[in-house]
Amino acid sequence: MNRTQLRHGLAILIQHNLLYYDVDSDTHMAYYEANTDNAYCLIRTGKILEMIDTSFGPPTKDVVQSLLLLGQTRISDLVAAYREKIASANQAVIDKESNVFDDAAATNGNSQPKKLNNLAVKSTAQLNSILCRLVEAELIDVVHDKSFQSPIDTYKAVEKEATDTFFPGGVKGGKAKIEFEEKIAEGLRKVRNESKLLKRKLEQNGPAAKRRKLFLNGGVANGAHDEEEDKDPALDPKQVIRINYEKCLVELRNRRLVQFASEMIGDMTSYVYGVLLKQLTKQLSRCRLDPAMDMGELEEGQGSGIVTTAEILDSLKTSVDLSLGLGKTSREALSSRAAEKLQELPPKKKLILEADVDGDARADESEDDGSDSDESGTDDDAKDYAPPAANGSKVKFADSTAKEQKMDRPTQLRQHLLLLAESSRHFVRHCGYNEWTVDFVPLMQVLREAELDSVIERTSGRQGLRLVRILRNKGKLDEKALPNVALMRKPEIQQKMLEMQTAGFVQVQEVPRDNKADVKKSFFLWFHDEEKSIGRLLDTSYKAMLRCMQVLEVVRQKERDVLMLTKRTDVKGREEEVMRKEYYERYRKFLDCERKLFAQTMRLDDMVALLRDY
Amino acid sequence: MAGSQGDAAKLQILKDALYDEARQHGSESRLFTQRDLLGLNVIPNENATLLLRVVQGLCDDKLFVGTNNHAGLAWRWRSKEDAKKYTSLSDETMMVYSMIDEAGADGIWNRTIKFKLNMHDSVVKSAIKTLETKGYIMGMKNVEHPNKKMYIKANLRPSDRATGGPWFTDGELDTAFITELEMIVFEFIKTQSAYLGSQGGHRSVGPARMPTKGVIRGGAAPVSNVGDSSSRGVKRAATEISNDDQTPAPAPAPAPVTAPHQSSSSSTAVNKARLKVFLPLPAGYKTYPTVSEIAQQIDKWGITNNTTLSEADIQQLVDILTFDGLIEPIKVNGRKGYRVTRPTKQETSSLAKRQKDREAGIGLDLTLMGVETGSNGLTETPCGRCPVFELCEEGGPVSPSNCVYFTEWLGLDEGRSKPPNGIVPA
Ligand code: SF4
Repeated sequence: MNRTQLRHGLAILIQHNLLYYDVDSDTHMAYYEANTDNAYCLIRTGKILEMIDTSFGPPTKDVVQSLLLLGQTRISDLVAAYREKIASANQAVIDKESNVFDDAAATNGNSQPKKLNNLAVKSTAQLNSILCRLVEAELIDVVHDKSFQSPIDTYKAVEKEATDTFFPGGVKGGKAKIEFEEKIAEGLRKVRNESKLLKRKLEQNGPAAKRRKLFLNGGVANGAHDEEEDKDPALDPKQVIRINYEKCLVELRNRRLVQFASEMIGDMTSYVYGVLLKQLTKQLSRCRLDPAMDMGELEEGQGSGIVTTAEILDSLKTSVDLSLGLGKTSREALSSRAAEKLQELPPKKKLILEADVDGDARADESEDDGSDSDESGTDDDAKDYAPPAANGSKVKFADSTAKEQKMDRPTQLRQHLLLLAESSRHFVRHCGYNEWTVDFVPLMQVLREAELDSVIERTSGRQGLRLVRILRNKGKLDEKALPNVALMRKPEIQQKMLEMQTAGFVQVQEVPRDNKADVKKSFFLWFHDEEKSIGRLLDTSYKAMLRCMQVLEVVRQKERDVLMLTKRTDVKGREEEVMRKEYYERYRKFLDCERKLFAQTMRLDDMVALLRDY
Repeated sequence: MAGSQGDAAKLQILKDALYDEARQHGSESRLFTQRDLLGLNVIPNENATLLLRVVQGLCDDKLFVGTNNHAGLAWRWRSKEDAKKYTSLSDETMMVYSMIDEAGADGIWNRTIKFKLNMHDSVVKSAIKTLETKGYIMGMKNVEHPNKKMYIKANLRPSDRATGGPWFTDGELDTAFITELEMIVFEFIKTQSAYLGSQGGHRSVGPARMPTKGVIRGGAAPVSNVGDSSSRGVKRAATEISNDDQTPAPAPAPAPVTAPHQSSSSSTAVNKARLKVFLPLPAGYKTYPTVSEIAQQIDKWGITNNTTLSEADIQQLVDILTFDGLIEPIKVNGRKGYRVTRPTKQETSSLAKRQKDREAGIGLDLTLMGVETGSNGLTETPCGRCPVFELCEEGGPVSPSNCVYFTEWLGLDEGRSKPPNGIVPA
């Protein structure tokens, strides 16, 4: 490899954010380091595009796709590239082959007969407006000179600066230490915020609120909003932008949570949940707070803010019928006091299913006294519920045909929200009257646990899951006590436990009965270490991903000759016509395999994301 | 002589009177102290000596049994038939029998008898044999000591401690029984804790059908639910609905009770007329079934023909279901009820129908309880369930490049025609 090649290689790697570098100020030598986090994020490309597509529309997806392909880009370059494309598309029939965005364009173009071309992005003004929107959503941020420092280098630099400016004599004493740490955190935050420069600028000028609103309504910026587009300030063409994976993760996490809610409760409720999350995470830049930078916030809860019922209501699609997805029942069958219970503080610790319910028995008891009054209907909140059914026997369900019993929309919305709050998974917290928040940290733990459980259930069966959850609930348990609790036969249990021990889901501890430590007399205590199991799961996921890729490589090798053929320019794009039948058959099979393996890798990434990043 | 004759007759009268009076005052297990017996007002002048003579006489007749309890000597009465059994036995046999009798419902180990009576093995054996042939005692099994030979009085039922409670039959955990009951309890909770909506929407649906007694026998309980396993196939990704602009506006008047997205995707479903789905009940629902309600219901159905299940037994079942992740406890105003998890994913046809289907060989891969957990990336990939996962590495005996599981999973295995279904051979 000669110098030019090396430089070229490095440049490309840097462009795609795959390298960190640091120029030592004394020696003027550049040190390179691989940016593994970003490299890993490449695997999420597909997922991010899909997410952008559904929540912002195809044109935005188009832009993001270009950005992902190009790596970091100067805005002017991006605009130029688009201008050229638009021009050529406007001029002539689109050359089908060269149009990478054929799919996106096709779906969108039909609905816009007025337009000359059927590209997803029709004008540079639209491009600008899309970029503005993305910047506002923090999905793209600005590249600055510190972007390529590895986190450790950044930390060192900030630390040095802090020492030099504030503590030239060294840090002494506990108090100074805390102060020092605060200074570092501040410095780090400053560096981090530099990439949000564009966003802040955008927020300063222009009717940001108005634009943001537009953007929330599904963000269909497909030319119908020409006027709005003109109002967007032109972005500084010299800025270099890139995809902000951290924020993308937040969005992906939202989707994951919605999926979970749909699984646990139902689709309509999960739709409401999605809207709530979207509102809530607008100002949330990352899934996990950095302990070095966000100390303060960490201590005072998650700082994830609150959303009011009205805000959610404003963002719901009008076409959605909220009366769906919930069972009907008379007002008498509901206790509004229990449903409306406010929880002002986030849960202290991770709570296990039963412990949770039994745990706040005391709190419940005290409310019992009050619950009589709400049954008599004098409670203020009571009117929020459906008017009483014709004859309110205990479990009589209201007749759904009776129109006059229809609840108004805010009430319907509230019912979904309350259901989310009541769930044993604590999807949301009703933190004040008509105010809602999400405690992400414990919630993600719940989700991780659920994922772990489903892996256990899939690999060790329902009885395996039963045993693990018994141990999770009861702590360490003697081997002899298990059959009674689990209502399973002894040999079956032994077999299952050994099986799960090998899989790393349960651990055993031998406790000798006396000094002689006679194995026959020892107690065997089983237990389940959740963190350990999850760690192991993550490890397995990595390995499985790697093996998927390796298998793909093997398949590629095997079908080498076919693949070579498809690379030829005269074959590319018309494989079916040109290739011999058996070759084409092999090619098709290969594509099948490739698709499957990629899909699998993506699904594995879902696990990794949940276990590691969310 | 005449005096002693008359004395004996008088004693006999007193014996009879005391015996009858004692029977009136308590069960066979009640212990009477000397004071208690005097209090029965049978013995004139509270004459303790006379009482002792009378009691001694009763003991000789085996109608009274003396024991030493913490408060001193005490007696309990024994039924006349039992007493007759005693008197008909030889001395050794009688001692053995009384040991077994004393042990009550817990039963006694034959070696314990031998040890306590300090008798020869053969004597005990022959005594037991005699008693068994006479039908006075029987062998029993104790779950705690399955290998010990235990005996119990023939007219007693082994205690729960010995049998292991209602879950054991002949000392073996009766898993079939447990599973059946679990299914019924689960079905009950499911139908009581979720609202069965149908897409037709017009029919006002009360709590769904409860399984009847016929259910457990797999008998012909009428099946009212038309919706069958096809509803299971209709799964809607929440991600689709959440941001999908194409979501059609739900039909106006009789609104489909399912999510709007379903109305579009399920139009091809077989039973499109009545697509049923369980829906969660609104927050604060007050009457999720409690353990005692479940116990009462089970009792009412009379499913457990000769075993009565206590609330604690039902609680145990309910706990199992909770651990299995099928139901969850929910506390509303301090009342702890249970509700089904993932209501919208639950099977809506009745348990009876599903059991019948299963007998007919349909839907064998479906569970009768709850929902299968969704698979995730890891469990779907061959590696996630690979038995040689730890050994697998490039250059090793098993490696991704020669992996048979992947070959099959990808359908590259020409030899087999089985389509890849994502399931790795165990
Ligand atoms: S042998 Fe195959 S399935 Fe098993 S771990 Fe290796 S690659 Fe995965």
